[in-house]
Amino acid sequence: MSSKDTFNIMFAGVGGQGLMLLSAILGKAAVDTGLKVKTGEQHGLSQRQGSIYVHFRIGDPISPLIPYGKADMMIAMEATEALRYVEYLKEDGVVIMSNRIMPSVTETKNVALDKEKKTKYLTVDQIVERLEQVTKNVVLLDSLALAIQAGNARTENSVLVGATVACADFPIPAEEVRKAVLALVPPKTVQANSRAFDLGREAGRVCLET
Amino acid sequence: MMTVEDVKRTDRGPALMLANEAVVRGALEADVKVVAFYPGSPVSEILDTFGEVLDHFQDYKMQIAANEKVALETVAGASMAGMRSFTSMKSVGMNVASDSMFSIGYTGLNAGCVCLIADDPYAHSSQSEQDGRYFGEAAYVPMLEPSTAQEALDMTKWAFEVSEKFKTLVIIRTTTRVNHQRGMVDLGKLDRKPFKKKKWKDVKGQYFTVGPVARRLKGELLDKTAKIKKDFKTSEFNKVVPGKGSVGVLTAGVCFLHTKEAMDNLELDLPVFKLGTLFPLPEEKLADFIRPLSTLIVIEELTPYLETRLAALAQTINPSLNIIGKRSGHFSEMLEYNVPIVEKVLAEVTDKKVSLDYDAVLRKAEKLKEILPERPPIFCPGCPHRGTIWAFRQALQQLRIRDNIVFNNDIGCYSMAFLPPNEFSDSMLAMGASLGVSAGMELALEDKVIAMVGDSTLYHAALPGIVNLIHHNSNVTLFVLDNSVTAMTGQQFNPNSPYDAGGHPARKINMEKMFEALGSDKIVIIDPYETRDCIGSIKEAIEADGFNVIISRRECALYGDREKKKRGDKIIPSENVKDTCKGIYACVREFYCPAITIDESDAKMVIQRDLCDGCLECRQVCPVDAPRHVEVKK
Repeated sequence: MSSKDTFNIMFAGVGGQGLMLLSAILGKAAVDTGLKVKTGEQHGLSQRQGSIYVHFRIGDPISPLIPYGKADMMIAMEATEALRYVEYLKEDGVVIMSNRIMPSVTETKNVALDKEKKTKYLTVDQIVERLEQVTKNVVLLDSLALAIQAGNARTENSVLVGATVACADFPIPAEEVRKAVLALVPPKTVQANSRAFDLGREAGRVCLET
Repeated sequence: MMTVEDVKRTDRGPALMLANEAVVRGALEADVKVVAFYPGSPVSEILDTFGEVLDHFQDYKMQIAANEKVALETVAGASMAGMRSFTSMKSVGMNVASDSMFSIGYTGLNAGCVCLIADDPYAHSSQSEQDGRYFGEAAYVPMLEPSTAQEALDMTKWAFEVSEKFKTLVIIRTTTRVNHQRGMVDLGKLDRKPFKKKKWKDVKGQYFTVGPVARRLKGELLDKTAKIKKDFKTSEFNKVVPGKGSVGVLTAGVCFLHTKEAMDNLELDLPVFKLGTLFPLPEEKLADFIRPLSTLIVIEELTPYLETRLAALAQTINPSLNIIGKRSGHFSEMLEYNVPIVEKVLAEVTDKKVSLDYDAVLRKAEKLKEILPERPPIFCPGCPHRGTIWAFRQALQQLRIRDNIVFNNDIGCYSMAFLPPNEFSDSMLAMGASLGVSAGMELALEDKVIAMVGDSTLYHAALPGIVNLIHHNSNVTLFVLDNSVTAMTGQQFNPNSPYDAGGHPARKINMEKMFEALGSDKIVIIDPYETRDCIGSIKEAIEADGFNVIISRRECALYGDREKKKRGDKIIPSENVKDTCKGIYACVREFYCPAITIDESDAKMVIQRDLCDGCLECRQVCPVDAPRHVEVKK
């Protein structure tokens, strides 16, 4: 094995969204499958609503950081954050992203203070259009709607994780991922998270097959 | 989280661990008995992990120290008393601790004593890209550098052995990308002995150094260093990864990993010297490595520490050796490295083609990201600093003295006052430095001098500066932002908390009584959630002569929310009443709360309820009181 047999995932999101739990879930799933994992995490300053990422590498990774253009997959819990780390995405890699946008304060200021009211917030369509210049495999999920459908608005992360296993090259077996999700979420939310996982998986399958 | 469970495991076997957690595991496997820390990124998780498992083991003592110097002295004292001990600190923490560290180098210690220092190339969360590798050599203290989580565990255990064998402090040097790397670790045997206090007569030694004693100790230190060097020559951590050809690589730490992966990508098979001991360097082994080479590529972040020493060694061993590094212009002394940076140089030197045109990838990404709004660091929703700094600026505006004051900021979340929307701070150097800088400015300037510190910084390094100002009858106004915890590094306890590590009870220092006893002229306490009311008090404190203290007291929102959750209290979010809102946007312009957004349909402000902390500081800023708490259904 060499680093070339490594499956690279770039996680992106906003502080407070639970990115570290998501990374812990896939970490557990990989290790329980007998795969090796290495991550480069951003812990830095304790602060909510900042841009955060995790370099997550499965297989035989050497460096903790994914080289530019070599992420097989990107999982973005917030749409603008998917674009923020686009330099890591491989040509034709898979993007699994929430359609959720959390506007930054500077953008809000620009929108509010434009007297002619022409400045608008960046839209998901604009972001996807940009990402599609790198890959056509963009799985855009209404993660909140699917989470609510699963019975708990706080299961968005399980929706996203569910979609990962719909990707043909994903190296961890789907049932191991589900087991890890259910082992690490709060016990009371196991059923909702299991449904959210399935809804995400189905949405991912539909998207990647068409 | 699962990794803390791994720290506690008594079986041996594989685990996925953050290197910082692997360090804790290593120290526990080495039966560490006393640990003390002041938090700092990228090592805060070491403190946090030791705190989390403290009650599980109940066989080691732990303190969150007032600063890094106290922490180092605490573990040195425990070592003198015959107990294995450990501390860790960020790069600049060693600047504070180094006063004692240099003396400890001379006196030596007794039981194993290890100190981890973490440099921060790229200054992710530090005020400089300080290169801490020089501390080892300057103080004659052995220094090790791991690359992976596994090595972090193994080296920590080994460091205790080296320390005990040579009766010396041992420093482990890391960088952010090692500390925050999660990787596979083989857990070793966990064999903890019960904690039992010792008697000084059974363990005692002499630990003082001055004049003639210092001169004698220096001689002994040089002998000791020579012996350690001999040991390091055969250490498994200084290894040569064999390869082909006359071009070799010397590297250490995370750069070893970037190098290995870059060589893989290029299908290169160069011999690599993977260095594990930064001081003393295994010079004989290094000499053997460079003797047959035509070219040596030195791959290290920050200063050319290794390159300079290898250039000196090559002068006698291999004078024609071509050294590729920073002095040749191939590598930068700035920022951190990654696989593409290393791969590009290796490709150039060996005349190969990079595995991917990384520059093209970056150029394309930059173009794609042109539409992307910045997400700058800002205060969290509910942060009390937002209100304090707003009221402070309002006070200056009302007094019409914005251009007649100087504002010396300090290290903490409030450092962000220098960023938009405030862009307000004239200096910010190091922990507690605002007081000393204020002393000099007060001597040299006609303007009013104002300083600001948080509660943790106050007790860390600001006290001597405060005593100095009061003693010299200075006219300085000091803001103390009392948010109960050391917020920025993860809300650890400090002398301002009634708790210590692991939530154990401790004595909270009475801040106002302390300022009173020191002789402050005026002490006012304000609540930043009553933001408007703060303005008057701040004006008075700034206008009055003397040393005046404004204590702005309200707990860190992250800490407060966790406490609320524990108590079962609900956070009631706020809403903007659109009929009242006049679209003045004071909340948007001057406040930068991430919960505040604009409804594009009517251009009115709207509060994101899932982000809102319900602090209602925004109502205080709003000229028409439009925000209010949402109604809670009974």
